[in-house]
Amino acid sequence: MLVSLKWLNEFIDVDLPTEELVDRLDLTGTAVESVKKLGEAMEGIVVGQIVEKNRHPDADKLWVTVVDVGFDEFRSIVCGAQNFEAGDKVPVALPGATLPGGITIKKTKLRGVTSEGMNCSAAELGLAGDSSGLLILPEDAPVGMPFAEYHGSADTVLELEITPNRPDCLSMLGVAREIGAILDRPYRTPGAVPSETGAPAADEVRVAIDDPDLCPRYTARLIRGVKVGPSPEWLVERITASGARPVNNVVDITNYVLFELGQPLHAFDAATLGRDGDGKIAISVRRASAGEKLTTLDGVERALTESDLVIADPKGAVALAGVMGGADTEVSDETVDVLLESAAFASASTSRTSRSLGLISEASMRFERGVDRTGNVTASDEAAALIAQIAGGEVAPGVVDAYPVPYESVTRELRMARLNAVLGTTISPEEATAILKRLGAEVEGGPHLLSVTPPSFRPDLEREIDLVEEVVRVWGMERVPSTLPAGRGRIGGLTPEQRWRERAGESLRACGLNETMTYAFVDPADHERIGHALEEGEVLVELLNPMSAEQAVMRRSLLPGLLRSVSFNQRRGVENVHLYEIGSVFQTTDGRKQPKEHTRITGVLAGAWHPAAWNAPAVPLDIFDGKGVLENLARELGVERLGVREAARPWLQPGRSAEVVIGKNVIGWLGEVYAPVLETFDAQGPVTAFELDMAALAREARGVRELTDVPRHPAVELDVAIVVDEDVTALRIEQSMRSAGGKLLDNVRLFDVYRGKGVPEGRKSMAYALSYRAPDRTLTAEEVEGVHAKLVRKVTSAVGGELRG
Amino acid sequence: MTVIDELHAMRDEALAAIEQAGDLAALDDVRVKFLGKKGSLTQILRGLGALPADERPAVGKVSNEVRAALEAAIDARNSELSAVALDARIAAEAVDVTLPGRAHPVGTRHLIERITAEISEIFIGLGYRIAEGPEVELDYYNFTALNTPPDHPARSLADTFYVKDLSGDVAAVTGESDVLLRTHTSPVQVRTMEREQPPIYVLAPGKVYRRDIPDPSHLPQFTQVEGLVVDEGITFGDLKGTLEHFVCEMFGADRRTRFRPHFFPFTEPSAEVDVSCGICGGVGCRFCKGTGWLEILGCGMVDPNVFGFVGIDTERYTGFAFGMGVERIAALKYNIPDLRMLLEGDMRFLRQF
Ligand SMILES: [Zn+2]
Repeated sequence: MLVSLKWLNEFIDVDLPTEELVDRLDLTGTAVESVKKLGEAMEGIVVGQIVEKNRHPDADKLWVTVVDVGFDEFRSIVCGAQNFEAGDKVPVALPGATLPGGITIKKTKLRGVTSEGMNCSAAELGLAGDSSGLLILPEDAPVGMPFAEYHGSADTVLELEITPNRPDCLSMLGVAREIGAILDRPYRTPGAVPSETGAPAADEVRVAIDDPDLCPRYTARLIRGVKVGPSPEWLVERITASGARPVNNVVDITNYVLFELGQPLHAFDAATLGRDGDGKIAISVRRASAGEKLTTLDGVERALTESDLVIADPKGAVALAGVMGGADTEVSDETVDVLLESAAFASASTSRTSRSLGLISEASMRFERGVDRTGNVTASDEAAALIAQIAGGEVAPGVVDAYPVPYESVTRELRMARLNAVLGTTISPEEATAILKRLGAEVEGGPHLLSVTPPSFRPDLEREIDLVEEVVRVWGMERVPSTLPAGRGRIGGLTPEQRWRERAGESLRACGLNETMTYAFVDPADHERIGHALEEGEVLVELLNPMSAEQAVMRRSLLPGLLRSVSFNQRRGVENVHLYEIGSVFQTTDGRKQPKEHTRITGVLAGAWHPAAWNAPAVPLDIFDGKGVLENLARELGVERLGVREAARPWLQPGRSAEVVIGKNVIGWLGEVYAPVLETFDAQGPVTAFELDMAALAREARGVRELTDVPRHPAVELDVAIVVDEDVTALRIEQSMRSAGGKLLDNVRLFDVYRGKGVPEGRKSMAYALSYRAPDRTLTAEEVEGVHAKLVRKVTSAVGGELRG
Repeated sequence: MTVIDELHAMRDEALAAIEQAGDLAALDDVRVKFLGKKGSLTQILRGLGALPADERPAVGKVSNEVRAALEAAIDARNSELSAVALDARIAAEAVDVTLPGRAHPVGTRHLIERITAEISEIFIGLGYRIAEGPEVELDYYNFTALNTPPDHPARSLADTFYVKDLSGDVAAVTGESDVLLRTHTSPVQVRTMEREQPPIYVLAPGKVYRRDIPDPSHLPQFTQVEGLVVDEGITFGDLKGTLEHFVCEMFGADRRTRFRPHFFPFTEPSAEVDVSCGICGGVGCRFCKGTGWLEILGCGMVDPNVFGFVGIDTERYTGFAFGMGVERIAALKYNIPDLRMLLEGDMRFLRQF
């Protein structure tokens, strides 16, 4: 809501500095979003007098003027206007001035002649009037005076944020009332009453409300014999300052009263309205019939539904109630008689109609929030008086007033003890009473219980808590003493799963992965790209109104988003990418209302841990770096049984693809992303990735670990290399060693895998360092050799291997 | 030449050799040559048996003196040479300590998660627990139970992402679905109050979604932290004190807080909270658009209607709630030029935090 302080001053004397007013408004709930000083825009523009008018030597249509601006020497100004003579006084913009349109004036040369400023038209100054010629000022205009001062256009416009609960502030009167309340000073209510002549309006107009729930009051006034034409300058200025465009005097007046009093009005061309059998204009307020059509003021033909409320004459709908008028009945240059509507429409129906038709106007916005129907006639009177004054015409006596649901004030109770208990204050009943009275309420009783009757323009004050809010808002939130809750019996902290999630993140970061975040909505094609098969009966979680087709479904895996980030980095020359995300995936089936959500912990690794350094070569990352990360993670979470076993996944390269298990339970996967998949994400491989289910991980996580004694006796370490077929896994060899080595085999460490010279094609040599140890004694050489020989024998036969010589 | 003369000659020769020994190995050779099992001293003493018995003690005495003298000389020379060897090794092993270290790079926390964790810590310190809820929510929890009127603009298809309802239910709100992406973490409030009895002290951080086209200052997916307290005797003053404590912890003890009355459907009285501008200290600058204040959160006393939805006795209990956008706090604290960077996963951005 734009508020011109100049206009506001007609309703209330606001003499405090603007900054202070802004602060007071801010701190009482009316946020000031911007402060615009209109006079400033006119800085550098002065009243000047044209002393000489000479033809431009090189241009037929240009004049070279010599102008007296009241100080310094006369100036030479080149000018293209034709409507002036030497001796005329005009607004002159000096070099450095910025016109409201944003143009900054500079000293310049026009076709070889120096021009030290600009003689201005009304339009160039942002004023009403035509742009074809200079704005010629009256002869008594003092040369040299700042134009803003002369013109009286210096003004400050506040842009106020009016919250949805305060429709009463959507007018100059309302803002004046609010400022009056917060500053505790009186305001003036405008109240023009038109002089009436001719036959009473009721002789010619009849109003019927079919649906009082949607329209509790409808008033109509008749003004005969108006002359429709352009509005006077002051009117244009006021409504443009409030954000409306001038149309014609009658329409501009309805807008003026809308901004002044907050009551939307509508003017019909009375001649275009259909009449009853008895010759009266018959207005009815009813729901549209299904399929009924109406061409609105903007020229669009609209199909209506039964939930739309319309104003109709016997022939059909003539306006969408509270939203927009009809094109056929609008006031035009030919209009002679005007039917002026001032009504109240229910907010729900106005809001539904304006939204479903995409028509949001100053009027619909006010009806949506609620209009005070007790003010219908005042607004109608104000507008009728202005029409008579500006557009001529005679106001027919009387208002045709259909008022099926009269306003009834309701008295509410305010317990002072409750007020202070909710606020934590010691506000006295006298203070509360005074504040509520300033806000227009009637207050009785006390000291413990106040009976409060809010004014008709405050329908938002429905409950005790609403009154509490009003009191603290005006009393001052800054005065409420700050305390901390005293309550007992509260213990802060994280749930176990939350704690494990934090620990998991810490572990991944310690391993070198960087946390990131990607969009939860993804391209439906992403799941095809990675070849993710949906489960039996599963469908993707689909958005009804996505922002784009590429963000139309909720993700089923975090991998696609992370692959996009890998590609994002690679395309910018960042080769080493280590990212993880902990986030939700969404899963649903047909017939299900709300999807299931699972937290996943997903990582991607590309490039090397670090670029080559003087003392550390760049080692390309592969599946084993991913596995190492998972091993550290398992260690940190105390998930002892975490394992990895070969298993195919469509998005992983065959042979470098595994599932992550805890016991028999699959909790995720690990592998190198399949090259064809990477290609669809424009990413370069190899990319190692993993995804685990956080809940499954958290379920197995153990905070408590069992302590085993630190070994007291030395170990004996023996190496052995076994040549086996390629398909014999490390897991199988180790399991076989463990079972053969028994209790004395303390540790198994694979230190080399060799293929090549000396090892037959299709086989590999696996070299292990085995350490033997007894907890209670130092082993003898004979003892160790016996166990070791037995182990080698058993293992080679179990895995089909032979000792490497 | 008497044996004693021989011993003295040998001694002089050995002392000279010790003096000559250039390193520890050479010194050891000298020791072996003169004092070893087959060394000169042994050789000389082998002829001792041929001497008359009365000469033997004198020779024995001299030989002991010679051995002691040589051992002392060798020890002394050994110390000298050891020191030289150590110096040489140290000189050889010196490095340029300004060469880069050999560290495994440690990962970083995402800025938004870092700030969320910071906020959570502050409130855990005040006795709050962390509550969570689904991101795909029901209209009831996101709007209705938070006292949002059926025609509220926030419910429109232009502002809220709706999700296809596969249950076959007819939507309560015209033309839309009852399933949506939560627009704030406030539904967690309602779920918490449905599940638990006061006293309730919870903080609900999480992702939220609004249909804003991504630009430098808007994201359709962002992060909110919502707080809820329900207990006996909770006052607006408690809300103020709590948030003032939070602002000091989060932004620094020198920052001031102001409460501006505002309107939210689910709290009353409601307020917006500003923190004094950290750039200009509250005088007004471009960063704070000349006001000296930066808006950081919305808050208020829980509206009795909300208690009504979850069956909490409004006469016995009062409560407050507050909510803040983590991206906004990040933008204020770090002056992030473009919020979209937060979702790109650019390593060069992530690794700065
Ligand atoms: Zn500032």
